[in-house]
Amino acid sequence: MADYAFPHRHLLGIEGLNRLDIETLLELGDRYVDLNRQRVKHADTLAGRTLVNLFFENSTRTQGSFEIAGRRLGADVVTMPIATSSVKKGETLIDTAMTLNAMRPDLLVIRHGSSGAVKLLSRKVDCAVINAGDGTHEHPTQALLDALTIRRRIGDIGGLRIAICGDILHSRVARSNVACLNILGAQVRLIAPRTLTPPGAADWGAEVFTDMRKGLQGCDVVMMLRLQQERMDGAYLPSAREFFHFYGLDADKLRHAKPEALVMHPGPMNRGVEIESSIADHKTRSLITEQVEMGVAIRMAVLETLAKNAPEPGATKQ
Amino acid sequence: MSARRAIYNARIIDPATGTDDKGGVLIENGVIIDVGPGVTKATAADVKIDAKGKALAPGLIDLRVKTGEPGAENKETLQTASDAAAAGGVTTFVVMPDTDPVIDSVALVDFIKRRADGVAKVKVHPAAGLTLGLDGAKMSEIGLIREAGAAFFTNGDKPVEDAGVLRRAMSYAASFNALVASRPDTPALSKNTVMNAGAFAARLGLRGTPPEAEWIALERDLMLAETTGVRLLVDCISTARSLAAIERARRAGVKVSCSVASYSLFFNELDVGDYLTYCKVQPPFRIESDRMALIDGLKRGVIDAVVSAHDPQPTEDKRLPIADAAFGAVGLETLLPALLSIAIREEIPLATALKPVTSGPADLLGLPQGRLAPGAPADLVLFDPAAPWACDRDDLSSRSKNSPFDGRKLEGRVLRTWVNGATVFERG
Repeated sequence: MADYAFPHRHLLGIEGLNRLDIETLLELGDRYVDLNRQRVKHADTLAGRTLVNLFFENSTRTQGSFEIAGRRLGADVVTMPIATSSVKKGETLIDTAMTLNAMRPDLLVIRHGSSGAVKLLSRKVDCAVINAGDGTHEHPTQALLDALTIRRRIGDIGGLRIAICGDILHSRVARSNVACLNILGAQVRLIAPRTLTPPGAADWGAEVFTDMRKGLQGCDVVMMLRLQQERMDGAYLPSAREFFHFYGLDADKLRHAKPEALVMHPGPMNRGVEIESSIADHKTRSLITEQVEMGVAIRMAVLETLAKNAPEPGATKQ
Repeated sequence: MSARRAIYNARIIDPATGTDDKGGVLIENGVIIDVGPGVTKATAADVKIDAKGKALAPGLIDLRVKTGEPGAENKETLQTASDAAAAGGVTTFVVMPDTDPVIDSVALVDFIKRRADGVAKVKVHPAAGLTLGLDGAKMSEIGLIREAGAAFFTNGDKPVEDAGVLRRAMSYAASFNALVASRPDTPALSKNTVMNAGAFAARLGLRGTPPEAEWIALERDLMLAETTGVRLLVDCISTARSLAAIERARRAGVKVSCSVASYSLFFNELDVGDYLTYCKVQPPFRIESDRMALIDGLKRGVIDAVVSAHDPQPTEDKRLPIADAAFGAVGLETLLPALLSIAIREEIPLATALKPVTSGPADLLGLPQGRLAPGAPADLVLFDPAAPWACDRDDLSSRSKNSPFDGRKLEGRVLRTWVNGATVFERG
């Protein structure tokens, strides 16, 4: 597998990847976990290359994770402060992309609030584009880091029963994870009230449940999703307490999963809304901090793989 | 162990099985333990009651009752409503949430249940507000309230106008398989009206509610029920076309049931007559062909529930020019006589006519009563199905006397009512 040539220029989503693509990234990520656990965490794979972080939506952990990943690989990392940039002065998205492109970055990491916006930008630039989350569409590095986390803890993902619970409707994490886990052969379940279940979710290759206890039966892994505060105002859900009663992960509901089932959450968590603290902080069953660690490693793998694939400057159109 | 009671020499009517036969019912610990021709005067029992050939049926279940409790106890309390219910052979009723405050929380559902347990002779199940304060904007805690024992969720007489809110509330309710009831009405068409729109209203010089007010909302609700998969009870339809729409949706697989107010089976718009405010109700009395279509629906067994739509209003709110008078009619005590009168006049078998007030609503709510079967609670009504009488509002047990049946001739009288085997009403 080491000599498999990753065939994509960008990483816009899990959709479009095949099993070999994903496993290639996971293998490389695995190796970077080891590097990241050394005292000196530097590789110079990306020395001389420029990584630009372009976050149109606020982010702490994903933005920081990409910054650290880029620096550990020796790249020059620039994070554009969008909040105070020309975007606020009325520049169009495309103009921003063209401007950045003229600065000749090698890797562009983009998060945007509109589904499809990252793909739109990728068509306008010459460098590799990595989707760090677009609207309610995809968040591919989150799905990859989740897969790496499970793989390192349990081993083969094939045949595992994995539940994704909560606000599926508005979650790009859920969409990427369903796709990724399906490709890796897991049996995926979605658990949510119907107001938070996307139409047609039953055709995603996942079983859909409204009763959490039934949905958790026999699950090896339980992935919780973040519930946005603004969903609890009576439009999608009556209240936070009702949500917690029926869909919050507590010890009682977790008992319906396998005895040693593992718990994941992409963060940031609403303790007491979608997850009980004692579960989130469980020493052996909660993988939540490991997910953050795997995030840096998998992003290093993605950056390195795409940087390698970038065409030589001579071949780039002007 | 409580006394074993036998009611014998009765005409046993059990709509759940279509039974109409001579026999009796044997009761122990408030539960029916035997039923049929085998229960006779000779059956071993501590107490024997001779039904003298009168009809014995399951106590009635009424899915739409308003009281004034909490907030307007001058109209009716849970206690006075339960007295009226017992006198009418109604042994279970659902109270609507449009009180002050609105029943839209776990605590208030619990309040109604505890209050009724303390004061009501019959079984009372609260329905809960579908939206908070019935404001049509934010859904109530449907899951938690359902666990607290709400019979169903409804916005009462204030339809949810925002289709987006209704769609999400239905969708959310479907997660819990909760029953949602909706009275189809389009306020833009029914606002400030008094009676059915048409030539008669025009002659009286009164503003009328056109039937489209019902049809438009009904079609919308049926579509949303279809796409969300919710169990929908269409509350109080009043027209032929509404029934046809519901039957069509049902054939298409929509989980829809419907109810009809007993007055819609009995009266037509002409009964408003000389500006009778007791006949000012929502939905209004419609035209004769609508009434006949609903009776036909009753015959064919496609109406799931007939309700009293009991809505007590004190004299001061009714003794007004009809345009200013309150909507609503009391109906708990006339529900059974109205149905019996229609059954006799239209030659409908009693087991068919009584299904929408017994096993029909029981099945909608998943209740064990509403049938004469071993194991079912002994909620029973003994009545004389042919006894003629004239309704006099002053004889009604309700705290409010606003009955459109006042002065009308009816056939069929309740003689005795039991709840869990205990007598709660006996005509003196």
